[in-house]
Amino acid sequence: MKKQTTQQATGAQTLVDSLAKAGTEVLFGYPGGSVLDIFNCLPEAPFQFILGRHEQGCVHMADGYARAKGKPGVCLVTSGPGATNTITGLATAHMDGVPIVCITGQVPMDQIGTDAFQEADMTGICRAVTKHSFLVQSADEIPETVAEAFYIATHGKPGPVVIDIPKNVQRAFTSAQYPERVSLRAYHPESTASSSQMARFAKLVNEAKRPVIYAGGGVIASGAAKDVANLAHRAQIPVATTLMGLGAFDENDPLALRLAGMHGSAAANYAINESDLIIALGVRFSDRVTGKLAAYAKRAKIIHVDCDPASIGKNVPVNLGIVADVKDVLTTVNSRIKSAEHAAWLAKIAEWMKRRPVTYKPMHPNVIMPQAVIEAVDKVTKGRAVIVTDVGQHQMWSAQFFRHNLPRHFLSSGGMGTMGFGIPAAIGAAIARPDHTTVAICGDGGAQMTFEELVVAVEHKLPVTFIVINNACLGMVRQWQELFYGKRYSGSILSVRGRMANERLEQDLKYDYLPDLTKLAEAHGADAYRVIDPAKLDATIRKAINSGRTSFVEVIVEPRANVYPMQPGGQPVEGMIFE
Amino acid sequence: MKEEIHRLNCYVENKPGVLARIVGLISGRGYNIQTLSVGPTEDGTVSRMKIDVVGDDKVIRQIILQLNNQVNVIEVTSRRRA
Ligand SMILES: Cc1ncc(C[n+]2csc(CCOP(=O)(O)OP(=O)(O)O)c2C)c(N)n1
Ligand SMILES: [Mg+2]
Repeated sequence: MKKQTTQQATGAQTLVDSLAKAGTEVLFGYPGGSVLDIFNCLPEAPFQFILGRHEQGCVHMADGYARAKGKPGVCLVTSGPGATNTITGLATAHMDGVPIVCITGQVPMDQIGTDAFQEADMTGICRAVTKHSFLVQSADEIPETVAEAFYIATHGKPGPVVIDIPKNVQRAFTSAQYPERVSLRAYHPESTASSSQMARFAKLVNEAKRPVIYAGGGVIASGAAKDVANLAHRAQIPVATTLMGLGAFDENDPLALRLAGMHGSAAANYAINESDLIIALGVRFSDRVTGKLAAYAKRAKIIHVDCDPASIGKNVPVNLGIVADVKDVLTTVNSRIKSAEHAAWLAKIAEWMKRRPVTYKPMHPNVIMPQAVIEAVDKVTKGRAVIVTDVGQHQMWSAQFFRHNLPRHFLSSGGMGTMGFGIPAAIGAAIARPDHTTVAICGDGGAQMTFEELVVAVEHKLPVTFIVINNACLGMVRQWQELFYGKRYSGSILSVRGRMANERLEQDLKYDYLPDLTKLAEAHGADAYRVIDPAKLDATIRKAINSGRTSFVEVIVEPRANVYPMQPGGQPVEGMIFE
Repeated sequence: MKEEIHRLNCYVENKPGVLARIVGLISGRGYNIQTLSVGPTEDGTVSRMKIDVVGDDKVIRQIILQLNNQVNVIEVTSRRRA
């Protein structure tokens, strides 16, 4: 260890200063032995610290913060179990291209490789679920590494970056300063469209008879929602969105086809199927959207614009692939798009919308339909709330039954489908956007995975309403078992009633809704409500949301409800089922 | 498409962890590396990796694009091995 001189600071202090220089306003974290030196510097830090209750929760909070704000989320955890607990959170952010900088403590360098207490090879473990990772070997490297981590997290396709810092490095002294600018020798992700590509883009659009815009999360990341609307309106082109793209186009617009894919609208999937030109913007043609690849969009030419060169041509061959920022491309191309009517095409689409609307039927007069919960929230918030979902049926109903109309207002784990995302991500989003109403929509299964984070919202008096759509089952799994596994509900029922014989439970009718989620929310300090009666649904949701307090609404819903339409995995569009 | 052996020449920054990252990226996607050699270049800060992988053109193209996305990869070239 070097001797301290007046201009020097510890690695830990230098890290905190560097995070501040990088623009950190909020740090989500959880302490432990290997990061005590850093925590010791936090009380004087210029940014807010938020104490999560599980490291996975901390990363999801940073993730929700980043998705809502469009700036990197930052978190700090200890070595070993603290670091390994972040993996699901990092993978979730990695799949959806969310910028996160995650600092993990590490055992002192002379103990690395000795199976020291709370040692885990974090850079090894996280390799496949991060965009990049650093193991810092000297305090002098800290400022530059932080600057590089923020640069990498936010440039090219965004993603999570881990900085692993051994304890002795945190305690060493350095006079290294935060760099003025970052220049990475080997990483230059910026790429722009050539003028001939732009010209071909315009020509293909101007010649198309049945064009469809297919917009994804890349549109939101690039801030191009207005430009997409501009393109759509210039030439009357209908717009379908991916789950990650919801909010990239106003669903109140007559040109909105809404969600495409496995649980997408019939209009969106039929339009893609019959289109002669798909204008794919900031998407990656995920298998949840394409279904059977060989049958996907057979009649269409495809223009694909994305910032990730590896996503172009990966799943679907394209006629014109452009590696560039969506907004940059549209800013130039839009002025070359001729106005068009596409009247026959739009009439055909209108017919599909009429024949196959996104809708549902009540199943029992006294039982709340889960879709009605989403409609009630949409009505109460007038479609302006930031909606954060967990994963399962309720996620798909949220995608289908909200009228999405603003970018960064629908936050959901798309690529990874991580249960447990909803509660912490909503907390991160509410911290990022204190001016907005935030509503989390969770399932009873997923809510139990990260319920402990609820207390963070309560402590910080966040005006978040957490809604749990309680169907007493892992609904999405139950649905697949109903449709494809002969109604054998193995492992998917959460009530005691209806469990499989090999679970060896007494079928005791007393325990249909365990744990008592409303009481649990109360125990965490939230205003908690349970709704069973359909007549009380709207009023309860209104009361909770308008209270401006941390509130929790458990809605007991029809357990047999399924998500339709559905284009089962690997099927062509003709395989769509509606009920 | 036909599966063939491709030789990837990968120039990378000579930093700790880079080898594991490159190998992990290829093997983690289920592609088998047939031979691998790593050596220095005249520029001591750059290493050269020669990697032989079996795959069709589409797979190889995807691997190259993924390698290029890596923060420490400077350049990748490839050719079919006779
Ligand atoms: C961490 C994790 N484990 C398992 C799954 C598989 N899975 C997907 S949806 C689902 C059911 C979710 O149940 P619930 O949270 O109650 O939501 P619902 O489908 O009932 O609305 C499960 C188990 C997952 N996506 N994530
Ligand atoms: Mg459920």
